[in-house]
Amino acid sequence: MGTLDLLQGTLDLLILKTLSWGAMHGYSVARLIRERSDGAFLIEEGALYPALHRLERQGWIESDWGLSENNRKAKFYQLTARGRAQLRAEVATWQRYTKAVAGVLEPA
Amino acid sequence: MRRIPGIRRVFRHERGSDVDVELQFHIDARTDDLVRLGLGRDEARRAALAEFGDVKRYETETLRIDRGYARITRIKELLWSVWFDFAYAVRGLRRSPGFAAAAVLTLALGIGANTAVWTILDALMRQSLPIERPDELHAVRRADQPDEDYLNSFQRFQRLQAVMPDPQQLTAMSALARMYATTGDQPEPALAQLVTGNWFRTLRVGASAGRVIELDDDRVLDAGAVAVLSDAFWSRRFGRDPRIVGTTIRLNGIPLRVIGVAQRGFQGLTVGSSVDLWVPLSMQHSLRYIGNYSAHDADIEKAWAPQDGIQWLILLARVPATSAVRIAGALDRQVRSDLEQQLATADSVDRAYRLREHVTLQPIPRGVSPLREQFKDPLRVLMASVGLVLLIACGNLAGLLLARSSARSHEVAVRISLGARRGRLVRQVLTESLTIAVLGGALGLIVARWGSAMLLRVASSGSRPVPLDVSNDARIIGFALLVSVVTGLLVGAFPAVRVSRFGLYDAFRGAGRVMGGRSSHRLPLGRVLVMSQIALSLVLVVTAGVFVRTLRNLLVIDPGYEREHVVVARLDVRAAGYDSAQLPALYDRLLGAAAAIPGVRSASLSLNAVAGGGTRTSGFVVPGRTLPPGESSSAQENYVTPDYFNTIGMTVVAGRAFTRADKVGAPNVAIVSESMARHFFGTDRVVGSRFGYGTPPEFEVVGVVRDARVNALREAAPRLVFRPLAQGPREYVTSVEVRVAGAREPVTASLRNAIRQVDPMLPLRDITPLSDLLERGLTSERLVARLAGSFGVLALLLAAIGLYGVMGYSVSRRTNEMGVRLALGASPAGVRLLVLRESLLTSAAGVVLGLVLLLPVQGVTGRLVYGVSPRDPATVVLGTTLLLAATAVAAFVPAWRASRIDPVDAIRSA
Repeated sequence: MGTLDLLQGTLDLLILKTLSWGAMHGYSVARLIRERSDGAFLIEEGALYPALHRLERQGWIESDWGLSENNRKAKFYQLTARGRAQLRAEVATWQRYTKAVAGVLEPA
Repeated sequence: MRRIPGIRRVFRHERGSDVDVELQFHIDARTDDLVRLGLGRDEARRAALAEFGDVKRYETETLRIDRGYARITRIKELLWSVWFDFAYAVRGLRRSPGFAAAAVLTLALGIGANTAVWTILDALMRQSLPIERPDELHAVRRADQPDEDYLNSFQRFQRLQAVMPDPQQLTAMSALARMYATTGDQPEPALAQLVTGNWFRTLRVGASAGRVIELDDDRVLDAGAVAVLSDAFWSRRFGRDPRIVGTTIRLNGIPLRVIGVAQRGFQGLTVGSSVDLWVPLSMQHSLRYIGNYSAHDADIEKAWAPQDGIQWLILLARVPATSAVRIAGALDRQVRSDLEQQLATADSVDRAYRLREHVTLQPIPRGVSPLREQFKDPLRVLMASVGLVLLIACGNLAGLLLARSSARSHEVAVRISLGARRGRLVRQVLTESLTIAVLGGALGLIVARWGSAMLLRVASSGSRPVPLDVSNDARIIGFALLVSVVTGLLVGAFPAVRVSRFGLYDAFRGAGRVMGGRSSHRLPLGRVLVMSQIALSLVLVVTAGVFVRTLRNLLVIDPGYEREHVVVARLDVRAAGYDSAQLPALYDRLLGAAAAIPGVRSASLSLNAVAGGGTRTSGFVVPGRTLPPGESSSAQENYVTPDYFNTIGMTVVAGRAFTRADKVGAPNVAIVSESMARHFFGTDRVVGSRFGYGTPPEFEVVGVVRDARVNALREAAPRLVFRPLAQGPREYVTSVEVRVAGAREPVTASLRNAIRQVDPMLPLRDITPLSDLLERGLTSERLVARLAGSFGVLALLLAAIGLYGVMGYSVSRRTNEMGVRLALGASPAGVRLLVLRESLLTSAAGVVLGLVLLLPVQGVTGRLVYGVSPRDPATVVLGTTLLLAATAVAAFVPAWRASRIDPVDAIRSA
């Protein structure tokens, strides 16, 4: 697979979904996305951080400082209640989107 | 507080470079992972960085997001906390409605008064004319000396039009004149102005009904019998009847067709006077217009326009500011070439004097206004005074707030110890005072509306109301808002300072103990406040005293004639259309009718009434005597009947008065005033000498009268020349005077009837006692004295109340100390004395401060006073005594209460 360009909205969706599995710091989010997508996404992991901070400002995730597994200071994120609702909405939208595209691509 | 469960919390967290730490963690973590997978540390790090991307770029982007949001958050927090403060302040005010009402009311009065005076001052000084591009309007004026009304002949106007880039850029108007318009059966006074055909067009003023005067209306002498009404006149006299256009009105007896009404809001170019009608210049002779003019070698009884020797027009030009200088130069050159021609035959001294004349274009975006000159300084003084009153009122309010904040000190202490930042508390205090101030300001707008109307009424000298437009609401509201905000901040500053210096220790110790530190007992702030209030009050009281004395001085001045028992009827014989042959008979009838009234001792006629507003000045020459260069050769001239001096009460000090023998055919005689004699004749013998307008001298002096202030009380006695009316057969009198022996009112009524009987259509302007006419000339002095006086009294009251409040509060806080003193043997009188002494010390300090403040103030008011120095020691002493007395009275009650403290209760309640 070649590298795929990621739309900002899609990245948001992935982050929200990843965080739905539990609170974690930015590095963990990056690792999980990379693993689950087989390395297709997040060519530049740094792009995660503007997204994380933006999502926090929008109130869908919240952050706090904590200590990582090896006692280093790290910023942890988790979904807020609004974030959960937003995730559900975006997943639904995504599914509608892919269904529509697939419908057109389907051999007639 | 943990927001995320399940993680170990960091306690000591520096807010330094959050984002940097976060990103570094990511890179370090990745590096570690790669190392675990077997890479070397360096290689791992490089790979981690490569995978991450441009660290700087992402850091910057993230920081930008954070900052942007931080800004929004801060703003939202700020707004919310401001709203909270406001709601808190309102709740606080509702809990003490008495205090709130007093505070808001005080400020309403103070801010309202300030706004009222400012409104008038602004309307007078600053408002532009309601015409298009007022900045382009210029008046042709003298460049070499100040001359508000530079008058020109019609011929010169035409010559100057020729040098303008566009002749229609130059237009001319006459001075305003009182004429008599007859709509029903009675002629009533109307203010009229004669204008050239292009006047309305050049000013770009249109009509709201019908049309305005155009070029064609002014082409032929006496042919343009049309008139344009002003909107105010149309409203007042005709009730805005739209059918007025096309009808005919009679002005000075001449029928004019009303062709239109000028646009609404336009009242002419003279701020403070409202023109009623505009008429074409060409009608000057038919209407017998005689406004301001100056004449050389001319016959004023013939039409003025064709005579170059009669100067009566004010010239205006509409030119863009950029070409003004260039065009002014062209005009100046033309004027000087005119002068050179005229002066070709004059002698060198005269030439040198006249050739100093230079003209220039002066921008007049705010019109011309003698009213402005008259009231400019008085209004400014009033503005300052009313501002001081507001400051004093603010002092009282600040004192009240200080007391309130002291009462709430426990609450403040708790809040501080729970973590409230002082800045926040200060802001809350300021919000409270701002809330009071803005509420006061809003109420003050109502006060201002009423106040400015009242001021205008006082300023109108009995005649018509001064037509100043005081309704420009945006500016007024803006000013009131500004004053409210400044007031709020000023008033709140005191409790705010108190809060920011708050000592927790003192507060939690509870009420002050007997031997506590000085600062926790006194209110240094409160005392300072009262001191400044007293200082300001002293300034106001002394200034008011000086103005009141000025007015009194002017009212009791001996003008050189009898002012109480003379009644003057001002009429306009010229406007009635009499021709000169009919005058002697008319005058005889008038005199006869007036003298026959019971209660009248003597009657007379004169060309110009005393203090009547009209004067005639002419140049005179005494043969064989030349005046020193630069000295004026003019004197005021009046034509009077023989009984005039008796009637008016002017004393003849040499020679005789006029008699019936001084008539046409008899030798021409004159009577002069003392100053005229001194000026023109020096020490030579006067009675019997001859003088005149030129050589050979036309008149012989037969008498000298004592100097008299015939123009206004405030004006020095002018040089006067009197001539017998019988020897001026073509003179149109404007005044009938009667000397009354007894009550004035019945004579006034009878005089009115008598004149009506002689000729019911004779325009009668008014019949007033001479004393009233004189007092009308003192309008601005009266205004200043009355208002400054009121402000002085108000200031005194406020300062006294302020002292009362501060001392009362201080006593109530020192109940302990007083109780102990009384218990230890002090007498009640002793305690009273203690409090009184403290109060007097405070007031004395305030008085000293006030005396210092008076020094610069007195310099400023110098121009407005009369007969008393602004630094008049008697007034200063009086003011000081008054203030000290008032403060002593104010301090008495707290002192009394202090002496009645029950020592046992006081100590027990500590």
